[in-house]
Amino acid sequence: MNHLVKYFRTQISQDPDVASAAAAIRSLLEFLKRDQSETLLGLRENLTEAIRRLGEADSSVAVSSGGELFLRFITLTSLEHLDFSQSKNLLVERGELFLNKISLSRNKVAKLCHTFIKDGAKILTHSSSRVVLKVLENAAADKKRFSVYVTESQPDSAGKLMAEKLRRLNIPVTVILDAAVGYIMEKVNLVIVGAEGVVESGGIINKIGTYQLAVCSKAHNKPFYVVAESFKFVRLFPLNQQDVPAQFKYKADILKTAEDLDKEHPMIDYTPPSLITLLFTDLGVLTPSAVSDELIKIYL
Amino acid sequence: MVFLILYSTLAMIDVHSFKRTMPVTDKEVALSERIEAFLAELKRGGSGAGTLRGSGETARETTALLRRITGQAQWSSAGDLMEIIRKEGRRMMATQPSETTVGNMVRRVLKIIREEYARLRGSSEVTDQQESLHQLLTSGGLSEENFGQHFKDLRANVIEAINELLTELEATTDHIAMQALEHIHSNEVIMTIGRSRTVEAFLKDAALKRKFHVIVAECAPFCQGHEMATSLSEAGIETTVIADAAIFAVMSRVNKVIIGTQTVLANGGLRAVNGTHTLALAARHHSTPLIVCAPMFKLSPQFHNEEDTFHKFVSPHEVLPFTEGEILSKVNVYCPVFDYVPPELITLFISNIGGNAPSYTYRLMSELYHPEDHEL
Repeated sequence: MNHLVKYFRTQISQDPDVASAAAAIRSLLEFLKRDQSETLLGLRENLTEAIRRLGEADSSVAVSSGGELFLRFITLTSLEHLDFSQSKNLLVERGELFLNKISLSRNKVAKLCHTFIKDGAKILTHSSSRVVLKVLENAAADKKRFSVYVTESQPDSAGKLMAEKLRRLNIPVTVILDAAVGYIMEKVNLVIVGAEGVVESGGIINKIGTYQLAVCSKAHNKPFYVVAESFKFVRLFPLNQQDVPAQFKYKADILKTAEDLDKEHPMIDYTPPSLITLLFTDLGVLTPSAVSDELIKIYL
Repeated sequence: MVFLILYSTLAMIDVHSFKRTMPVTDKEVALSERIEAFLAELKRGGSGAGTLRGSGETARETTALLRRITGQAQWSSAGDLMEIIRKEGRRMMATQPSETTVGNMVRRVLKIIREEYARLRGSSEVTDQQESLHQLLTSGGLSEENFGQHFKDLRANVIEAINELLTELEATTDHIAMQALEHIHSNEVIMTIGRSRTVEAFLKDAALKRKFHVIVAECAPFCQGHEMATSLSEAGIETTVIADAAIFAVMSRVNKVIIGTQTVLANGGLRAVNGTHTLALAARHHSTPLIVCAPMFKLSPQFHNEEDTFHKFVSPHEVLPFTEGEILSKVNVYCPVFDYVPPELITLFISNIGGNAPSYTYRLMSELYHPEDHEL
């Protein structure tokens, strides 16, 4: 089990560009290869324990959705063969295939989204998202001229990292205070954000401050676009901010040591689907109402 | 002896390449002539005002042409046929980019071909080919479906399916008009804009049983609203024509707004005649329901981000005639034909398959078109 968490951490540190859900799935696949169980039930129990351990190491929504998807994948694939040892080989093979496919999803999303960025556009984004970076990279490679505003995104100042990466791509970028979102909104043409998780209602869970951004852009009638890969779809249906499970809101170490969670600062918030214009995923360009359809298709 | 064999093989090779490069048969010549004639008509029909062809006719003619291509062109597998249809489709769309029904019909036919191929191959569902999380999880290997297998019955099956599509197209206006009585009640005031053949049939059908009043916004500068009003009053409906500027003023008296559209976009928005966005905003302000009567063939997988192909501009002499020469050199005059209406302003879509909310558009699209055909 400790190997699992260590493997996961090495994955993240070796390849900072990889999505945390993809790293989680890769670690679980490694775990599967080394697992000694002889029955499906035993394997599922071990995997559930492994996913819980991963969740303790990194409590984000993405890791949880990756884990659940992997569990679902195991169940669906092993139903095809009654003999468990046969299934095991098939599982490993399909797992590698699945990982290959999801490594391509970010490119698919970027290809879909960059046509929505027009020449001379002013884009506002929030915190640091690898998918948004890829989208902007593609748009810049397409010789489009645009400028970007990034929110600082406290408490970890992730926005400054994003600005650094954009500067390396020669894209004009300005870092703004989180509080300056309302001030800057009138200058902006569109808002693009990433997502840590896409929930059943079509809303998203993302770094704290995204909800504010969405409300402001709705008030100014600016389109609010979300870019996310399909493995981030998660079976949650929060009705308001309180409904989001506490395990996602705070970092893993705080969950273990804090006495009163109410006094801690949450790291994520929930943006309802009514504020989102379109979602760009590797399954296509979706309106928020189409998301639940996609989710139903896997859990049929 | 050797010389004879050599000569005959050379002759065979020659004939083969000859066949591939030139349309030898009369049928092929007639087919390419027909395609050229259609393209010329498309190009001519797109010059703004005058006798605008209804999209229904365009849809029917496109489908008939595609049926002809299926019947007469040389192809041996579904993949070849799809390539031919895609090629012709691209040519037709390039001639008149604002006429989206052409592209929609091409995509419908491509989906028909995929379905018939899948049925002949015996695969369980065409949904096997659709992208979904489920497919990501369970498929073994990158399923590159290349449609290479040859089936004898494919040609006949596809032509039969296209005939069914044509029958559906012919009946669309009637199916929409049949739903009129559910939506129009006695003594109601209905507002509409410009001239839509679908809305005309819809209102005339309701007028057979109910008495109501219609206000038509004239829709400058082409003023098609005038023809609509004449046609409606001939059917015995009390009609009033108003100027576009009076829309907001009159809106408080209106019970429902019923409009047609040129295209329904993938997000549920509209590309409709100019002035429709104003009408929609006025309706939203007064909380008046906005109903759009649009047949399924107008549903297009495009979004409104493509600015170069979304808008169409025609000669500005309708706005400012050339006789006002002095002013013309000092100002820029534009005459756009279409307007974008966002999906939040629309209450209901009435199509030949029933009424739907704008948020349901994605589902209708996935049933009509295959995701790989969105980009032809």
